[in-house]
Amino acid sequence: MIKLKINGVDVSVEEGSTVLEAAQFLGFPIPTLCHMEGLTPYGACRLCVVEIGNPPRSKLVSSCTYPAEDGLVVRTSSERVMRARRMIIELLLATCPQSKIIQDLASKFNVRQQRFKQEYEDCILCGLCVRMCEEQMMAKAIGFRGRGENRSIGTPFDIKSEVCRQCGGCIYVCPACQLRCTYNEPEKAICGGCANLAPPCLEKENFHDMMCYMDPCVACEIRKENN
Amino acid sequence: MQRLRSLDEFKLLRDRITSEKDPRTIMVIPTGTCGQASGANDLIRMAKRVLLEKELIGKIGLRITGCHGFCEMEPSLLIEPEGTFYPKVKIDDIPRIIDAICKKEVVKDLLYVDPESGRSIARQSKIPFFARQVRTLMSQNEKIDPIRIFQYIENGGYSALAKIFEARNPLAIIEEVKKSGLRGRGGAGFPTGLKWELLAKQPGKRGKYLVCNADEGDPGAYMDRSLLEGNPHSIIEGMIIGAYATGATDGVIYVRNEYPLAIKHLTIALRQAREMGFLGEDIINTRFSFDIKLVRGAGAFVCGEETSLIHSIEGKIGEPRQRPPFPVQKGIFGKPTAINNVETWANIPLIIRKGSEEYAKVGTPHNSGTKIFSLVGKVRNTGLVEVPMGTTIGEIVNEIGGGSVGSSKIKAVQTGGPSGGCIPANMFNMPIDYDSLSRAGSIMGSGGMIVMDENTCMVDIAKYYMNFLKDESCGKCFTCRKGTQRMFEILDDISKGLATVQDIDLLEELAYVVKDTSMCGLGQSAPNPILSNMRYFKDEYLEHVMDKKCDAGVCRELVGAPCQAACPLGTEAWRYVAHIARGEYDEAYMAIKEANPFPSVCARVCNHPCESKCRAGTSGGDPIAIRALKRFVTDRVDPRIYQPKSRPDAVTNGDKVAIIGAGPAGLTAAHYLSLKGYKSTVFDSESKAGGMMFTAIPAYRLPREVIEKEIESLLDENVTLQCETALGKDITIDGLFEDGYKAVFLALGAHKSRPLRIEGENAEGVYPSIQFLREFNVSGKKVAKGAVGVIGGGNSAVDAARVAIRQEDVDSVTIFYRRTRNEMPAYPEEIEAAIQEGIKIEPLISPNRVITSGGKLSGIECVANMLGERDASGRRLPVPIENSEFIVPLDTLIVAISEGSDIDCLSVASSMQIETDVRSSTVVVDPDTLSTNRPGVFAGGDLVTGPNTIVDAIAAGKKAAVMIDRYIKGEELRQIPRIKLPEIYVPPPDNGDSVEAARKRVATPRALVEWRKRGFAEVEMSLTKEEAKREALRCMRCDLEFTKPEIEHEEELVTAEGSKL
Repeated sequence: MIKLKINGVDVSVEEGSTVLEAAQFLGFPIPTLCHMEGLTPYGACRLCVVEIGNPPRSKLVSSCTYPAEDGLVVRTSSERVMRARRMIIELLLATCPQSKIIQDLASKFNVRQQRFKQEYEDCILCGLCVRMCEEQMMAKAIGFRGRGENRSIGTPFDIKSEVCRQCGGCIYVCPACQLRCTYNEPEKAICGGCANLAPPCLEKENFHDMMCYMDPCVACEIRKENN
Repeated sequence: MQRLRSLDEFKLLRDRITSEKDPRTIMVIPTGTCGQASGANDLIRMAKRVLLEKELIGKIGLRITGCHGFCEMEPSLLIEPEGTFYPKVKIDDIPRIIDAICKKEVVKDLLYVDPESGRSIARQSKIPFFARQVRTLMSQNEKIDPIRIFQYIENGGYSALAKIFEARNPLAIIEEVKKSGLRGRGGAGFPTGLKWELLAKQPGKRGKYLVCNADEGDPGAYMDRSLLEGNPHSIIEGMIIGAYATGATDGVIYVRNEYPLAIKHLTIALRQAREMGFLGEDIINTRFSFDIKLVRGAGAFVCGEETSLIHSIEGKIGEPRQRPPFPVQKGIFGKPTAINNVETWANIPLIIRKGSEEYAKVGTPHNSGTKIFSLVGKVRNTGLVEVPMGTTIGEIVNEIGGGSVGSSKIKAVQTGGPSGGCIPANMFNMPIDYDSLSRAGSIMGSGGMIVMDENTCMVDIAKYYMNFLKDESCGKCFTCRKGTQRMFEILDDISKGLATVQDIDLLEELAYVVKDTSMCGLGQSAPNPILSNMRYFKDEYLEHVMDKKCDAGVCRELVGAPCQAACPLGTEAWRYVAHIARGEYDEAYMAIKEANPFPSVCARVCNHPCESKCRAGTSGGDPIAIRALKRFVTDRVDPRIYQPKSRPDAVTNGDKVAIIGAGPAGLTAAHYLSLKGYKSTVFDSESKAGGMMFTAIPAYRLPREVIEKEIESLLDENVTLQCETALGKDITIDGLFEDGYKAVFLALGAHKSRPLRIEGENAEGVYPSIQFLREFNVSGKKVAKGAVGVIGGGNSAVDAARVAIRQEDVDSVTIFYRRTRNEMPAYPEEIEAAIQEGIKIEPLISPNRVITSGGKLSGIECVANMLGERDASGRRLPVPIENSEFIVPLDTLIVAISEGSDIDCLSVASSMQIETDVRSSTVVVDPDTLSTNRPGVFAGGDLVTGPNTIVDAIAAGKKAAVMIDRYIKGEELRQIPRIKLPEIYVPPPDNGDSVEAARKRVATPRALVEWRKRGFAEVEMSLTKEEAKREALRCMRCDLEFTKPEIEHEEELVTAEGSKL
């Protein structure tokens, strides 16, 4: 067992656990976007940063990937952590303002403005869908490509993947495009019908810009069957 | 190649190789990538041909090596054993050089010329660039042909390996490396010995990896490449030693695919090492096995980060992962891995061969050994520089690098590539080591060192790096990916003048968060360029945001045409140059006169800031001779074609404004106020208007009738001139207000020279330069006689000297200056003209005391100086040489060290409740509005700035007119800064024109020396029509980027007029 101290509270966890797990065990809330039980920790969204070590030599690390170490001192909501988190949420808001999850986060952390140029993207590249596809669905139909600002998620060469079984797992885990099902502007709504099997499906040929990798559209298929 | 089966066999081989010394003279041709790019391959072909033709193979040998480091001088040639160095060799030079070698001579005219002393230097070791380095690694590059393993062995190669195989004690090697104090040369500076110890302690049943990180991706850094290209065996030997010490089984050299020559040489070297038995199973019968694999990187910057590099070697996407577990615990395919930089590996054989103690003697206690820097940017000698750790930046930049290229000063040095920061010039005495650099907010990085001068904009630099990083971030961490994008966005806004002060705060806030929350080194250090810039150059950021100005002349959207932006008056220099190229002189004159009420004066004596920012000059060539072109137009065009437009909104109630001082500032203000409908009275204490133009500038530079004509054209019915009326004596500010003047503009000049503060200064025959010039210019008195000495190096000194030599009783004139001639602040063309006229310039001399006899000057005692340490500006300080005093007999001494405002003027001002700064003896004003502490009283010109240029004074007058107008109308004084971009389209001249653009800057035509020496007729002449056209055609027309032909608009005009008809 490994002993560490989180926010002044001693805790013992099993070897191999992460700081996030230890903190959750104690009930300290740490927001995450790219973390999901059952998927390998990835550390992409950086929301779960915590401060480790003692100032002035302390540093911020992502708790979802940082292994619990003996004698580690962790603060999950120090001023430095909160400042970083609020800035991250501001960046998220500037990128994907339409995501309900991100809006809720902003409201929870009292982020009331974003000072950057507004973008309307539907992906924060958290990689949940990629890991879901690979690790839970054993498909590896989608993956990352490009780097820096050109990084995106998609099937290889943007052609229909032969290994995709249209399970919908990728859409189910997505934190940025949840509003697709309940979007209040139908002409802008992006399918997602397969996730809840209630098809608000719109006749759309191209799925690329919707971050939907399923071809043919499951929802459309279902509707066809029902008809 | 025969496989070596034992250590003895290796020793036999080594002895055989070293005993067979090549008796021939060797021509060494550096043929790294840089050498090849500049034509070294042609030199090789030519040398081979000549040697074969002349049958000299038995006498002269060739050695093709990697880069030697002096890239600025490539393709170069080194003759061994003498060590003669030929820079920038051309193909045709080769036969001459070979002839000279046969005759055991050197070709004098091809040798390197030291730019500071002007002497040519034959020996490479004597050239300052090489002499000040400690080239332990780089010197090997000269001696070794990288594709010949025997040459490596001949120069002590693989001896270190033999030594450790003999000792058979891996732990001792680690101990030795630890004791040497070697720190990782990749940038972070982790102690190499410690890393090895950690690796050695890991259980090694499943194998361990050693990696050479040769993914050198920093812009401007290329030392790893030159080591790989020039001496690949040293890296291989280092890795074998490392493997033996740590028990590693596999080695990987991860080299970026952009280095084809390095890959080629490495592949050859690996094959040779394998064939000789240095790599593979059972190395030289020691039962120790190790092999190295070459992995080529696919060009991602982030793959230089160790966890990304591991992923890349494993065949995955190159993106980092969380540490711990560290690579040394869990690396390539889960096996323990130690990763070191190329330069670190190259140092290992050296440490083993020399011993750790000997190695640690170089450098400083916690930063031992040497480090190679790639010195690039705005520095004279670019290239690879190897110096001991702890050398100061100043030494590298100014001594080895030879200082800045042109006349502009070095501003900062960027170290560590995109992850590093900028270090300003005033910190150049900082020693370079890992710790000092990180304290200064930068990093060592792999050793890139980019020198920047005043023509580099710091915002632009940060923007450049952020653009690089937003593309090169792997994109895994949200903060790094989006953060770099957003930081770039804000910087882009700043450089375009769209940002606000809040944006700067946001930028800083974001930078700290990105630094804090990113996973790997790339993201954590990505904000460094911004943060270090903000630390040292925040003013520049604020200037971009608040004043919408980019002083360096780089940010296009703020600068427009650099000549226009540099001019204090905003003269559209590009426009009149373009008109001259088209032969439209009237239009050219209008463009000048619109902005400048004194075009003919400025055409002669302006210090032309436009030329120093001219893009033709800052991009490597000579700037356009803008002033000479202005002179050409003003000489040729009748000034009456310009009719100033009085504004329709001009107030006509004729409010009165008092202007004190009829110099350029005062007259300009009066002129522009008159256009706005104000009545102004200009008071001056002299008998004539003109101020310093008249009293200080000699007639041979600025003929009197030119001043008079120009002043006359400014005096209209709204301007009254009242001479011989001094402030404080005849008038007071209170009195002026009582007389109904609504505002007062103080535009007095600086009319006093500073004293030397030496003994005997008040003797008869010693004159302050201002007084000397004034005596002559105003009263026509010729006070100089016999041997005349002038102390100082500014324009005032040169003016005084040139006036003196024109006076009849003068025999000789000598200027004494405490620094060197190159550092004289006077305009170079003035110095040149002075020398032509027979004035002697004695540099590096300071006066000690004035020698008098009977209260009269008889001579001065001087002391010779030598150049000492450099000051913050990068100039060497003059240091007196002991016992070098000597006496110069003189009849007249003119002191021209610097000017201050007239103290009397200032005391008058302060007695009238105007705030003054005693230390700089100036009047205090708000620089944005020129208003003093007294409402309604404005001040500008030399009185505010100290001695300054005419063009700045005119600018102050112009601004004062605007401010006084706003003041009287009761408007807010402060204006929102406006970006002035070129607006008027001037089409480029037709292609069918027979006149071609000049290749070089036109030389200023001057009157014959014999003719001008004793007279005061004007020295500089006008250009001819053809000269002017050819010079004007040289203009790069920066304006065309912003303007476009208004074809439709013109058509509209035609139809409109047509319908009228």
